[in-house]
Amino acid sequence: MPLSRRRYRLWLFGAALLSGLYIFSQLATGSTSMLLMSPVLEALHAPANWWQSATLWLSDRQQLQSDYTDYRKKVEQQSVLIQEANSLREENRQLRNILDIAGMPGYRWHAAKVRGRSPESLSRRLVLQVDGVSQDDVIVSSEGLVGVIDSTMQNHATVRTIFDASLSVPVTIPGTSLAALARGQGNSIAIDFIPVQLAPRPGQMLFTSGAGGLFPPGIAVARIAEVMPIAGRLFVETLAEPAAHWQRDNWLAVASQLHAGP
Amino acid sequence: MIALTITLLTLLGLNMNMAFSSSLMQPDWAMALLLASLLAQRHNWFWALPLILLHDVVLYWSPAASFMVVAMIPLAMIYFDQHLGAGLPQRLLLLLLALLAMLVDGWTLQASLLTMCLCVPVWHLLTRQYAQQAA
Repeated sequence: MPLSRRRYRLWLFGAALLSGLYIFSQLATGSTSMLLMSPVLEALHAPANWWQSATLWLSDRQQLQSDYTDYRKKVEQQSVLIQEANSLREENRQLRNILDIAGMPGYRWHAAKVRGRSPESLSRRLVLQVDGVSQDDVIVSSEGLVGVIDSTMQNHATVRTIFDASLSVPVTIPGTSLAALARGQGNSIAIDFIPVQLAPRPGQMLFTSGAGGLFPPGIAVARIAEVMPIAGRLFVETLAEPAAHWQRDNWLAVASQLHAGP
Repeated sequence: MIALTITLLTLLGLNMNMAFSSSLMQPDWAMALLLASLLAQRHNWFWALPLILLHDVVLYWSPAASFMVVAMIPLAMIYFDQHLGAGLPQRLLLLLLALLAMLVDGWTLQASLLTMCLCVPVWHLLTRQYAQQAA
């Protein structure tokens, strides 16, 4: 009798645990816990920072003087480059006006240092050290779109990347009437709503269309990897690879909307 | 004391994973330590499972990742111990199951193998510690 009672309790406990797990599986807790770890991440990075500071402190005077001379030369060279860039910018503005290409007005760009990243290959989420950003600001690497800011705390922020299934990016191919959605699928990106008539070729690049107002237009998002037309369906099944590879980037750019609309 | 040490090492491991995942091939430190604790003594579930939950919430932003599999380990251990007796093969099977769950969650095969390589000696060490305490 006591043995059967013990077995009954065990099964009851198991059933309760399974029910609890099912309820848990329906919850999504968000990024706050990852963000709360940022002080420890800073502490882990501290030895590298101290090493850099110590190296600078111990550099001898002669080395510093030669560095100073080098930097002055570089500054002079860069001032010439800046003048050249200004004239090119003006020329670019005029060409944009001629071609009627929309720029990226309404966004402030600044840099963010990558402090942590999730180690698995499905979401590749990031923790950034950055000031003055807010939720849904857009993160971009030198190659293309990375994701959006999910949550912020003091001078840290977590990033939901384009691999995340909860993020859909309106995309297009410049020069076409294509209006599709790029949706994260773990380690690939699915492109939804591409009509059979507008099916792209593998290798073609998709850019943000600017629809919805969250993402600035013209940022590279993904390169088409596979296009599968399915008989009887209006849209083709399309898989793509992200344009950006941010696993090794230490710095990323943040586009903050200056006047976030409703 | 063992619980506190493992807890602190787990938290450090979680942050090691996040801070250096781009520059170093690493095991899942937290998973290895907590799995070893569970396999060494199933009664450790009351502090190991909440830490597994924390591990999932921090790394995956969701409690429904490896926790689902690891939570079954103490139950499976009770079942196996009752029906087959306390034995190493059953525990190794449970360890492999947890490592498979890591692969499903997007960890590389190398990281899973490294996790196993860390887990097994820690498991051995903890088992010896518990045996010494009991003696």
